[in-house]
Amino acid sequence: MSNEHTVKSYEEELQFLKDSLIKMGSLTESQLSDAMDAVIKVDKDSIDKIIKSDEEINKFRSKIDTQIMNLLVKRAPMAIDLRETISSLKISQDLERIGDLSKSNAKKVKPLPLDLPDELLGNLKRLGELVMKQLNDVLDSYVNKNFDKAKEVWEKDEQVDDLTHIAMESVIDFLSKDKKNLDFSTHLIFATKNLERAGDHITNIAETVCYLVKGEYLKGSRPKGKVIQE
Amino acid sequence: MTNIKIKSKNLNVYYGDKQALFDVNLDLNEKEVTALIGPSGCGKSTFIRCINRMNDVIDICKVTGNIEMDGMNINDKDLDVVSLRERVGMVFQKPNPFPKSIYDNISYGPKIHGKGETKSELDQIVENSLKKSALWEEVKDRLDEPGTSLSGGQQQRLCIARAISVNPEVILMDEPCSALDPIATAKIEELIDELKKTYTIVIVTHSMAQAVRVSQKTGFFHLGKLIEVGKTEKIFKNPNNKMTQDYITGRFG
Repeated sequence: MSNEHTVKSYEEELQFLKDSLIKMGSLTESQLSDAMDAVIKVDKDSIDKIIKSDEEINKFRSKIDTQIMNLLVKRAPMAIDLRETISSLKISQDLERIGDLSKSNAKKVKPLPLDLPDELLGNLKRLGELVMKQLNDVLDSYVNKNFDKAKEVWEKDEQVDDLTHIAMESVIDFLSKDKKNLDFSTHLIFATKNLERAGDHITNIAETVCYLVKGEYLKGSRPKGKVIQE
Repeated sequence: MTNIKIKSKNLNVYYGDKQALFDVNLDLNEKEVTALIGPSGCGKSTFIRCINRMNDVIDICKVTGNIEMDGMNINDKDLDVVSLRERVGMVFQKPNPFPKSIYDNISYGPKIHGKGETKSELDQIVENSLKKSALWEEVKDRLDEPGTSLSGGQQQRLCIARAISVNPEVILMDEPCSALDPIATAKIEELIDELKKTYTIVIVTHSMAQAVRVSQKTGFFHLGKLIEVGKTEKIFKNPNNKMTQDYITGRFG
C-alpha cells in the first residue's frame, strides 16, 4: 500500500506547506542568531539587516496562512494531514513571534555603549546560545517527527528560565553599581526577557510537534525554572 | 450510560463462494449515530443489510455468526421478518418514494402493520412523520400530489418520513445524501441530529466530512473486515490503524 495520496496535487500541496515552514524556521534561526551576535558584539551596522529579515519571516507567515486556507478548503484534511495542517499554522505563529522578539532585540543594540564589560554579556551570551540550540533542536524534531526530541526541548526550557534569571541578576548587579547605567541596562533586561519569551514559543512548538506525532497533548505541566516561579 | 442496541459477533456473510464479511464484531449504541466508511465493496452495506435481514432476498446469500437487537437473535429463522423491518427502517441511496401520493407514501406502512385504524389516526401519523422529517411545512398543502413530484432532497426526506411512520427503533441509511445537493444534504444531516434523540441510526457514507458531522461512532471496513471502530473524533483525528489513516486521508481506496 502506497503512503502517497491518490491525488498527487494534494501530496504536493502538503509538501509545499512543510517546505515553507522549514524555510521559515531556518530564516528565524538565522535572524535569532544574528540578533544575538549584534547584541553581544554591539554591532550597530547589522540592525537594519535583521529588521529587514523580519519582513521576510512575516511574508512566509502570510504565505503559510494562504497555503493552509487552501488546503482546508480544497482537501478537508483528516487525521495526520489535519494535524500536519493545524500544526503548521501554530508553528508558523510561534516562529513569527520569535522573529518579532529577535527584531526587538536588534533594536535594543542602538542605545548600547560599545564598551560593555564582558562579565555583563557572558550570561546573556550563554542564554542566547541555549535558546538557539533549543530552536535548532525543535525544528529538527519537527522535520524528523521526533516525539522524544521535542519532549526533551520542552523539558529543557527550565534551563532557559534559570539562565534568564542569572542573566537578569548580572544586569541588575551592574545597574546597582552606577545609576548612570540605567538607560542601557533597561535595554539589556528587555533583551534578556525577549530571549526567555522566545524560549516559551519554542516550548509551544515542541508541544505542537508532540501533538503532531502522537495525536495527543503532553500531559502535566512542564518543569519551570526560577524566573517563572518568582 | 449507553446501551448497546445492536450487537454483532463473528458475523460472516457469503454470496455463493464469495465471502463478503469476515468475523465482524460491532456494537451499535442506542440513540447514537454510527457511521460506516470504507471503499466500495468493503462490506458496509452488506453489514447493515444483516440488521433488517435484507440479505434474505438474495438466494445465494448465507449468514453465519450472531447478530442481535436488544438480545433478540436477528438471524433466527423463525423470526417474523416483517415485524423486524417494522422495528428497523431503511433509507436508500436514491430516493425511492412509492408511485403514490405524498400522504399514501407515509400511511402505507402504518396501514399494513395495523397501525392507525381510523382516518384521523392516520392523518396524525402522516403529520407527525412529516414534521419529524422536517418536510411538513413544505408539503402540508399538497399531500395528494405524487411523492415523485417532489425535489430529490424532499423525496429523500419523504422516504425518511415513511421509514419513521411505523415508529421503528433503528434507522439504516445507505448513503442517503449521495444523490443530493449540499443544501438538501445539510437538511438531512440536521434531521439525523434530531432523529438520533429517538432512534438508533446507522449511516453508510463515502463522505468523510459527513461521517464526522453526523456520527458519534465510526467503523472502517476494508475487504469485508471491520478494521477499526471507535469514537468518530478519534478515528478522524488520530486513528490507531494505519489502514484507517491511509483511507481517510485519501492514500488509497
